[in-house]
Amino acid sequence: MKCNRKSKMIVFFLSIYFVINVCCACSITEKEWTGEHSKIQVAVIAKSTTSAYWKTTFAGASAAGTEYNLDVSFEGPENEEDYETQNQMIRKAVENGVDAIVFSAVDYNANVEAVNEAVSAGVKIVIIDSDVNSDLVSARISTDNYKAGKMVGEAVLSGTEEVLQVGIVNFDEHSENGQQREKGFLDYVEANERVTIVSSVNVNSTIEEAKAATIKMLKEQPQINIIVTFNEWTSLGVGYAVQELDVADKTRVVAFDSNVVSVGMLETGEVDALVVQNPYAMGYLGVEYAWMLLNDDKIRETNIDTTTTLITRDNMYAPENQKVLFSFE
Amino acid sequence: MKLKTNILKKIRERRISLSFVMTGLVVCIVLVACVIGVIVFTYCYVNSMEENAVTSSEQAVSQVRNMVSHYTEDMQGIMEMVRINMGEAQEERSEFFQNLIDIRKDVEAITVHSEEGKLIAYWSNGQELKEQIHTNLSYKKLEDEGLFISVPHVQNLFKNYYPWVVTFSQRIKTEDGENIQVSMDIRFSNIASYVDKVGIGAHGYCFIADTDGNIVYHPQQQLIYAGLKEEQSEKIRTYRDGSHTFNGVIYTIHTLENCDWRIVGVSYVDELVTVRVSGMIRVVMFVVITVVVTTVLAGVLLAKSFSKPAKELAAAMRRFVREAESFEFYPVKGTEEIVALSDSFGHMVLQIQELMEKVRNEEITLRKTELNALQAQINPHFLYNTLDSIAWMCEVGRTKEAIEMVNALARLFRISISKGHELITVKQELQHAECYLKIQKFRYKSQFNYTFQVEESCLGYLCNKITLQPLIENAIVHGLDLSEEGEILIEVFEEEQDIIMTVYDNGVGMSTEQCEEILQKDVHQKGGIGIKNVNDRIKIYFGEQYGVTISSELDEWTKVEIRMPKISEESYEM
Repeated sequence: MKCNRKSKMIVFFLSIYFVINVCCACSITEKEWTGEHSKIQVAVIAKSTTSAYWKTTFAGASAAGTEYNLDVSFEGPENEEDYETQNQMIRKAVENGVDAIVFSAVDYNANVEAVNEAVSAGVKIVIIDSDVNSDLVSARISTDNYKAGKMVGEAVLSGTEEVLQVGIVNFDEHSENGQQREKGFLDYVEANERVTIVSSVNVNSTIEEAKAATIKMLKEQPQINIIVTFNEWTSLGVGYAVQELDVADKTRVVAFDSNVVSVGMLETGEVDALVVQNPYAMGYLGVEYAWMLLNDDKIRETNIDTTTTLITRDNMYAPENQKVLFSFE
Repeated sequence: MKLKTNILKKIRERRISLSFVMTGLVVCIVLVACVIGVIVFTYCYVNSMEENAVTSSEQAVSQVRNMVSHYTEDMQGIMEMVRINMGEAQEERSEFFQNLIDIRKDVEAITVHSEEGKLIAYWSNGQELKEQIHTNLSYKKLEDEGLFISVPHVQNLFKNYYPWVVTFSQRIKTEDGENIQVSMDIRFSNIASYVDKVGIGAHGYCFIADTDGNIVYHPQQQLIYAGLKEEQSEKIRTYRDGSHTFNGVIYTIHTLENCDWRIVGVSYVDELVTVRVSGMIRVVMFVVITVVVTTVLAGVLLAKSFSKPAKELAAAMRRFVREAESFEFYPVKGTEEIVALSDSFGHMVLQIQELMEKVRNEEITLRKTELNALQAQINPHFLYNTLDSIAWMCEVGRTKEAIEMVNALARLFRISISKGHELITVKQELQHAECYLKIQKFRYKSQFNYTFQVEESCLGYLCNKITLQPLIENAIVHGLDLSEEGEILIEVFEEEQDIIMTVYDNGVGMSTEQCEEILQKDVHQKGGIGIKNVNDRIKIYFGEQYGVTISSELDEWTKVEIRMPKISEESYEM
């Protein structure tokens, strides 16, 4: 009897053992072959959603999202000074349980608190385009703004004018990237004796304000023969102002970023050079880095500079520049 | 190495258990089989996966090629229609072109340039022509009248409209004899949506390049334009049609027949082969480990169910060796073989114990019968009668006979006792018998005669003492009819390996039943010992095939035969 019970126990344990084995085998194969994961969520929060620059950024982010099978959402405030809305967007995204936020800060300081909160809630932050004053950011992907500013300076100095009377139309003074660009530009040109900075204004990042400010500036200081400006909307504002005042021939404009209108202006002469960033790469790399961070991949560099290209009327249709200027839909 | 010697040492010392050996062997065999199986399986699997990868890549690429070649044929057809329509009247021509653009969404514009590159006419999908065209990218001066397909470029003819297009253009001679160039800008939307959808594995894709390695259309064109991705254009340019593997990437290339475009399929060995194979190997390894673990468990279980009862059995045997008699055997439970062994052992134990019992009993019987034989010899009646006879002889003065009688009696006893030995020589036994006959003959007043027929060669062999005497006594007392002349014949001869001694008398004889009865029953005749005693002693001493047989015919004769083996004095230690 004793022996019998023992053998029954053994049979019982053996059968349990086999059942466990079969279960393990099944689960392994299922995992292997179906590759079911719950999708990683990445929120891209930009400064705006309307400009060509940001649209291209979103296109890049979306491409990366497709590549890595992520859920990517896009958001941005109505106007490019609205850091409050941006902070709300960050908090809401954290509440919604996103895994990472790809963020471009409207305000270098005012966005810090929301960003730090998000990080302490376990959300990875990848900064693109415009930095925020926080050490908790996992990676930064942007144009080297100082260098881009320098590139504007090079374009200005490449002109043949003997005296360069420069007017600066910059956007929101709280935005880190605009200030860096201006600094890069100033550091590069100030040493040059040809250059005089006649006027420098900061406007809200809209076409209308930029246009109005430019017209006012040109009217007050008609000797200005060079205007530099540092983002897409201010570039268009300056372009329209030059068009309206019909000073395209005597005023050289070095502008920033491209869209179909500014490219048209480059062709027709209101704008003479464009420093073009690589927003597509920014968006793509931003999401890619978010993915890598979430997958614990080793990231060798946490500060990535994307390329900038100086486009002039003469080289704008060179095959490589076509690729920079015109996005492929 | 050390482990091996240790194990060998253990085996030599017999410290290693059967279960260990069995489990070890089975696990080794299963492991070797599994390893071989996995290697062969993996090899075959990898091969077939690689072939699969190339095949699926080839299939995808040739599908795209067919599609694209269909598309380019289509475009060539349209170009041909455009060329023919150029001969039509201005209005009809315009209407046709405009309709064409409206219907074909992928045709962005049709332009006509003069030989110098001046834009003469255009038809577009509602775009406004720029006042001043900076660089007309849709025009390229053609040297011959063949169809030319450009690399992808931006169309920059219209205000705020910069689509990426490929230009099909052809030089045409007008009726006026002028050379004009007709161009058609085509968007890739049609092929693009098709090419985009083609996947090879999870991340593989197809793209279109021209023979110079320029990318015509790529599903990730924007990534390439943004500098985030590069194709091995130079490498691909040098490849012929077919599949090539480079840096873990399979490039499958097919060139279109009707133009110089090539369809390039890109797929990843890692993804198509390595990942699956490693996944497969993981599953297989899991199975192997399961099998091995199961084998170990089964082996241990098997060994337990076999070796444990075997050990019990061995212990029982050792106990049996130590104390055979008092040993009590309890059957061991276990597998069939063990049970069989146990049963056999149990049976053997019983038999041995029985045999031991039998031997002991026989020993006791032997001692008893020997003692009986001896006692019979010193039978007081026989002694009294004989001494009476001697006394009587002395009285009547038959001194000589009396002396002979006394001598015979003396020898009879001497031989009977013979220093306590059970075996004596045949010669002594015959002397004993003769002494007895002599005495009896005196006593029975010569009413019978006796004769000895003895082969000389038999005299030296040994036989049980007091074997002939009881037979002779039986013959005299029961056999002989004393009314007539009795005859007793004693024969001793060899028969192969045996010695036969017979006592024959021509007395009253016996029935067959009587013959048998005599050997069964201890019949004491006047205190003498029976034939049974003789038979028993011989059988105990020499075995069942020896002993006494009686044959007889009623009223005629009786013959009692003793069969014994030849035992020489040298071979028997006294």
